[in-house]
Amino acid sequence: MTGPEELGWRIQGGLAGQSGRALWRSLDELSREPAVLEILRAEFPGMPDLADARVGRRRLLELMGASFALAGLSGCGPGEEVDKAIPYVTMPSGLVPGVARHFATAVTRGGYADGVLAIHQMGRPVQLEGNPDHPASLGALDPIIQASILDLYDPDRSRTVLHAGRASSTNGMVKALVDRLPALAARGGDGLRLLTGTVTSPTLARQIAALKQHFPAMQWHRWEADGRDTVRAGSVLAFGRPVDTVLHLDHAKMILTVESDFLDSAPGHLRYARDFARRRRAAEDGRPEEMSRLYAVESSPTLAGARADHRFAVRPDEVEAVVRALAAELGAGPAEWRQGAPGWLGAIARDLSANRGAALVHAGPAQPPAVHALVHAINDALGAPGQTVSHIEPVEADPVDHAQSIKGLVADMAAGRVDTLLILGANPVFTAPADLDFAAALGKVPLSVHLGTAPDETAVLCTWHVPEAHELERWGDARAFDGTVTIQQPQVQPLWGGWSPQELLAVLDGETRPDGYSIVRQSWMERLQGKGDAAELWADTLRMGVVPDSAAAPVSVSLLPGLADRLPPAATQPNGTLTALFRPDPWLRDGRYANLGWLQELPRPFTTLTWDNALLIAPATAQRLDLKNEDVVEVHTASGRLRAPVWLLPGHAPDCVTLPFGFGRRIVGRVGRDVGFDAFQLRTSGNLWQQPGVELRKTGESHRLAATQHHQMIDSPDVVRHATLDEFHQNPGFAKRKEPQQSLYPDYDYPRNAWGMAINLNACIGCNACTAACQGENNIAVVGKEEVLRNRQMHWIRIDTWYEGGAAAPEQTLFQPMTCMHCENAPCEVVCPVAATMHDADGLNVMVYNRCVGTRFCSNNCPYKVRRFNYFNYSGDDNRLSMSWNPDVSVRARGVMEKCTYCIQRIRNARIAADRENRPIRDGEVKTACQQACPAEAIVFGDLNDPDSAVSRRKASPLDYGVLTELNTRPRTTYEARLRNPNPELQEV
Amino acid sequence: MPGVFSPIANILTKLVLYTLLAGLITLAGGAWFFPNTTYATRVGVAQPQPVPFSHEHHVGGLGLDCRYCHTSVEVSANAGLPPTHTCMTCHSQIWTNAELLAPVRQSLATGTPIRWNRVNTLPDYVFFNHSIHVAKGVGCTTCHGPVDSMPLTWKGASLRMSWCLDCHRDPAPNLRPKEAVFDTGWKRTATTPSGEQLMASYHIHPGTLSDCSVCHR
Repeated sequence: MTGPEELGWRIQGGLAGQSGRALWRSLDELSREPAVLEILRAEFPGMPDLADARVGRRRLLELMGASFALAGLSGCGPGEEVDKAIPYVTMPSGLVPGVARHFATAVTRGGYADGVLAIHQMGRPVQLEGNPDHPASLGALDPIIQASILDLYDPDRSRTVLHAGRASSTNGMVKALVDRLPALAARGGDGLRLLTGTVTSPTLARQIAALKQHFPAMQWHRWEADGRDTVRAGSVLAFGRPVDTVLHLDHAKMILTVESDFLDSAPGHLRYARDFARRRRAAEDGRPEEMSRLYAVESSPTLAGARADHRFAVRPDEVEAVVRALAAELGAGPAEWRQGAPGWLGAIARDLSANRGAALVHAGPAQPPAVHALVHAINDALGAPGQTVSHIEPVEADPVDHAQSIKGLVADMAAGRVDTLLILGANPVFTAPADLDFAAALGKVPLSVHLGTAPDETAVLCTWHVPEAHELERWGDARAFDGTVTIQQPQVQPLWGGWSPQELLAVLDGETRPDGYSIVRQSWMERLQGKGDAAELWADTLRMGVVPDSAAAPVSVSLLPGLADRLPPAATQPNGTLTALFRPDPWLRDGRYANLGWLQELPRPFTTLTWDNALLIAPATAQRLDLKNEDVVEVHTASGRLRAPVWLLPGHAPDCVTLPFGFGRRIVGRVGRDVGFDAFQLRTSGNLWQQPGVELRKTGESHRLAATQHHQMIDSPDVVRHATLDEFHQNPGFAKRKEPQQSLYPDYDYPRNAWGMAINLNACIGCNACTAACQGENNIAVVGKEEVLRNRQMHWIRIDTWYEGGAAAPEQTLFQPMTCMHCENAPCEVVCPVAATMHDADGLNVMVYNRCVGTRFCSNNCPYKVRRFNYFNYSGDDNRLSMSWNPDVSVRARGVMEKCTYCIQRIRNARIAADRENRPIRDGEVKTACQQACPAEAIVFGDLNDPDSAVSRRKASPLDYGVLTELNTRPRTTYEARLRNPNPELQEV
Repeated sequence: MPGVFSPIANILTKLVLYTLLAGLITLAGGAWFFPNTTYATRVGVAQPQPVPFSHEHHVGGLGLDCRYCHTSVEVSANAGLPPTHTCMTCHSQIWTNAELLAPVRQSLATGTPIRWNRVNTLPDYVFFNHSIHVAKGVGCTTCHGPVDSMPLTWKGASLRMSWCLDCHRDPAPNLRPKEAVFDTGWKRTATTPSGEQLMASYHIHPGTLSDCSVCHR
């Protein structure tokens, strides 16, 4: 790599040399690093290293000789063993072997429900899709919820009750608890404590309320490491009471986000992404006046920032100053707040107030309560309530401040005031603020019972650990961002036993053999009584996946006067110091998903890191501190120190570093062990989201990071195209290029269907849901960090990230999903010596695994670099349960090439269903997995022979363009170019 | 000077060469023909079963319809194997104490499925679908052989890819009218529509049927 001075020079030099719109994917590419230019030219960049390995000519011949000699033996396998055919004893009603069935339920994320449909094959769930009837999902799903199916089948899950770390019995645990009850009852429950994460389950809330009747002195503590304390505190500051705010982005024309998570992870983010994307697509649908404009102010990059028309990377302390100044501009704060406001703020304020009633401001949970309170005041001044935002009763049951709550618990534990502690589904030993030292306090609790799906840091320190039934294995209920309730129904019998939190709580009620079904049913049968046949309503509710009319009603709140005086003083940061920002890893969140290979290997947005977290830092700050990528630094704060590798992130604010938490789990299954560093070690209860006064010390060591940004790079600067709305009006065909028309090969004839795909860059938010969905649907293997470093990750669809402008503050961040284009003139087809990749009668470029001999010629000849090769038996080596694979798709073995098939299994099933009825396949009948999961409706798939199909209509858009069409590949997958809607006032700045 | 090789060397050399050649031809021929032998394909070889279920008796003798047991053959990729319950619909009334049926009764009593030996197997990378074949007029016995005369079931056809392709390239000779699909005794008669007519009425397009993606994915 390059020295920092030189790198800095190159970054600037690279910039100076670029004229107009030059796009780049990484800092190294921007600085024209020779190593990166080399990668662009090589299909298998990892290969030369391997050739250098110490295998001499003689040794190679020996090895080859041995494999030739043994080759014949492969025919001598155990072929005579007879397969067994095992029918049911009693066929479950409604089950048809070989036909998938769908069951509605919900999976929670940080307590909030996303509605899912579990797809069952032969009685077991094999995949999750969004429930179209659920308001938070609308049919889409994010990578985390999709991976919960992998979590269900994780072989490292807890299987037995542990007592003091040793296998014990359920009866023993129940007896220990029940024996304690009389003494507790005598004291009125004094010493009995519950600790949970965010709870939205009405049944749990009901049970806890009932327990409080029984044990009045019992206390219920909450701790969610990436929770929404600040949001809650902000609404208390503004309105005097906690409320949840729901966004209506379909009504929002002007949006300002303050490091907002509304596209990444906020409750309801899938819904928000859909509403947002629809308005961003308005211009291409002929309604340019409806296209929204997005401003983003943030320190650490968010997906919302990447989609912003104007993004401002500012220091954490300046964020609040900007929000205060904006409040002042809009008449929601004293005029002196305006002092020192950046020049661009006036234009934003004018734009927002010009769109009163159609504007909104949203802040993310990492912002302090003051910012949230100010955002409420600004929204009020903009006439947003009732139009673009609405306030509802909090979805969380009995909302409290989590930081205060756990602080109180630890103080009581340390003082010996806690005698019985139930920890339901939380892992506080790992996630609690470091200054509290939860582990030490836990040692002073005589009876602690931990309920969790896997043996974790907390489980081994509690006196009892009880295996928790997975959300897909148990009865339960949960509420979505808007309050809508879903009753969770079990999809399988618990694989390894396991209790639901409702059942464990029932033990405190004296129930020794609790039954989750009747506990949950009891909550709802009361509500359904009198509304008709209760049993039928119950069945309907389960089938639909939502309880009708359960969304929270809007509440009317008004701003309390004198907000300016009540605001806590803003944090300040002396110049020249560093602030650490604690942010959840986008996929592992607070670390609970660390054992899921899909999530570990899914590239993080922006950094493209897999299998590691890194200290994220702005290039300019890194240059000042003489740091480069992969340098290991020691991070010193007032509360401790830790070692972390560095990653330079374009668009990160200066003078601060982001420390993603969730990695560095110590007691976890085989996948998550020894991965990354644990940023929780520095996170204290007083500084949950940012810690000023941080010092970085170079250690001189380095740590290799498996980033995929230089993998499968397309060697063309014209892959992603975009323009402003004005440019689009002047030249609607700006994305079109002259394409060669002639070909030496004859044209194909497609008598039936001609499948094609259109990917809309105006909609794509870069969330990676498509990559995760594809992985689940198509049995794509996880390869591990070492193999990712060798460029061998197997994802069939990847998100390429492109930047435009300078490294410090890229003007544009563009995401482009890239997958097999199914070319009409496919370069791969003509070079395969065994015809393993073929053109079929529908125009699909099909891959025949059983023919493939692994020459990799096809991959070498693919200009899009979308083919993946099984260098090892990745799938066979995976320890996930064999029942978790999708039975409709071959599991590929070593030595086989693979790539996107347009979900041919779904096409074939639709084809067979249509042919059985002698009808054509209907438009929309085949949805690819990526299309199904996409919250932004960016991907459309269908028949190009049908001029009225959704995909044909998309492709008729003037924005439609193909990638690398100059090579005359005639790709079936095309893109709609991105449009931006910048503020003319700000364009000059 | 005496010759380097004795006169017999000529004969020996030829012998060795011809033997090698003959050996090679035998090997190649064997490799070509062996997979087609019934030993390799198991066609016509009755498979022993935990319960000696006789299709000859149930189908040929009693006239049970195929779909009585193979319930999902018209709607699913899998034809469906009957659960123990299906056996017991009759055998809870007749032959209730038969020694042969003890495993069936035991299966119902203990809830453990009967483990049949599979007769027809395809590799994992082949995705065969029963329902579409049945819907397009391919009779059960076309592939499974004379099931109604099998005391113990055997494989009716090799199920090799060449055998599949023979029909996928030219389905006409193997088609029947819809009502005859489950008729084990069906024979083409003078009034039967021709294969070409059937193909047209079923909307079968053989041009697309030999694509790899039809069966492999």
